[in-house]
Amino acid sequence: MHIQDGVLSPVVCAATGAISLGAVSYSVHRLQQSVGDRTIPLTGMMAALVFAGQMVNFPIGAPVSGHLLGGVLAATVVGPWAGCVAMTLVLFVQWALFSDGGLFSLGTNVLHMAVIGAWGGHSVRMFVQRFFGDSRKGIVIGSVVAAWATVMAAAALFCLEFRLSWSPREIDFSKVFTLMVSFHSLIGLGEALITGVAISFVLNQRPELICRMGTPARPIEGTGRSVHPTATAITRTLAAGFVIALAIAAFLSPFASSFDDGLEAVLGKLGIENFNLTGNVPGLLEDYDKVPVPVAAWQSIAVSFAGIGGTLAVFALAWLLGKVLPAAPPQLSEAAGE
Amino acid sequence: MSDFLDRFGRGQSMCHRWPPFVKLFAAVAMILAATCAPITHGPLVGIVACVIFFAHTLARIPLRYVGRRLLFFWPTLFLMAISLPLSQAGQKGWLLFVTILVRGTLSFSTALWLVNVMPFDQLLATLRRLRVPDVLLAILSLMYRFLFVLWDELDRMRTARSARLFRKPSLWETWRSAAHLVGRLLIRALDRADRIHGAMLARSWNGRTRWIEPRREDQR
Repeated sequence: MHIQDGVLSPVVCAATGAISLGAVSYSVHRLQQSVGDRTIPLTGMMAALVFAGQMVNFPIGAPVSGHLLGGVLAATVVGPWAGCVAMTLVLFVQWALFSDGGLFSLGTNVLHMAVIGAWGGHSVRMFVQRFFGDSRKGIVIGSVVAAWATVMAAAALFCLEFRLSWSPREIDFSKVFTLMVSFHSLIGLGEALITGVAISFVLNQRPELICRMGTPARPIEGTGRSVHPTATAITRTLAAGFVIALAIAAFLSPFASSFDDGLEAVLGKLGIENFNLTGNVPGLLEDYDKVPVPVAAWQSIAVSFAGIGGTLAVFALAWLLGKVLPAAPPQLSEAAGE
Repeated sequence: MSDFLDRFGRGQSMCHRWPPFVKLFAAVAMILAATCAPITHGPLVGIVACVIFFAHTLARIPLRYVGRRLLFFWPTLFLMAISLPLSQAGQKGWLLFVTILVRGTLSFSTALWLVNVMPFDQLLATLRRLRVPDVLLAILSLMYRFLFVLWDELDRMRTARSARLFRKPSLWETWRSAAHLVGRLLIRALDRADRIHGAMLARSWNGRTRWIEPRREDQR
């Protein structure tokens, strides 16, 4: 997920850096306003935790393994402002110690993982949670959906930045976009699963740790007392699910179509001579010359499918997690650990 | 872990004795040059690479160490870069591929140089003089302190986990236990934050950060 220096053009880095600077300054401002004296050690610990949590490997195949990104996790526990600051500092330390990421692309990385991760994740979680009242299930499902949505949004944003960084003569962006979005829909699934299991674990063990900003009802555990109207009916869940799915599909499809249309025209002028030079090489590009429309359509379908199918999968996952996990009996919090 | 990250940070070479600002701006300038030099302009890229290499030599950072760090770094960069030509079915994007590889490597080695000539406390002091907000720096310094504590905690938990396992777990079990590891670590970290907060209160912490003036060698 970390973008290295040199992947994006300096102008794009500067622009995204300016946006992140504003967002992080606002987070710091809010953090200072809301302060108890407890905020500083708590945020520091949260940042260190996200850092350490990223060290835990999640095997995918034999050599490949993924890890947590943690924006949604941080925002769920300490709230969006502290979460955003914590993620920013994680990214900074990753650059300053690991040389992971990059100095100029730090702003971009902050935008993708801290601002979208914490702010975006928090608002998506709050939106989804509204459909479940202030229940545990709502928190788990909300954070799962938020984790998925933030990864996808970051991927889509990256494609946009990448598009702005390089001239279309060098590369065909609709294909990069397809690859990126399909790839990240998998990463997002992993992130959603990890976040969901980790949060429901914490909810089982120490429910008071999970932040419930913006929801006035504080005690949720067991008592069933909550201020919000608890509409936990399946219809509401499905409604929420389709709203999210549609939102993401709607978010993705303009990208896909504009990428295809715009680039089709450009490629028609620039790419064909190139194509004639290279001769009839078997491969995907051959189709491009002969039947541009079906390929373009196929790609939008693929992208939309990645978006919608992934969203539905995440919803199924969230639903299962919310159904299965809170049913577990409360365990002894200290003894179970080691 | 800290030994691996900035092993040569406390060295006594010429680069280490430069004022912190000079080091920081030298690094920024080198990264800027590395990311802005057009890749088709071979000599320019070569000069930038030479300057970075020379900086490493001046700082007495062993080549073996740089090589080892690069070996850990290259696979991820390569994956990122190769996805571009792959997405074009190998037809286009090779120039971009090379660009990303070269620029990534150069800026990574520059950052590596900076880490190894500038210890973290010095970096914090420099950032403070650059007017970075105190809250951020306080959180950052606490984070740096907690980082190694949590790493050790994670290590212990991993050891305990592998000691409890008698067979190879299935993929789902691995994922579940890894996610539980994260959750457990979260609980422990927050408890520790509470204890630390209590200890800070006992030492008259009131939410405002105060800094000890940096030592003389940092100011030079």
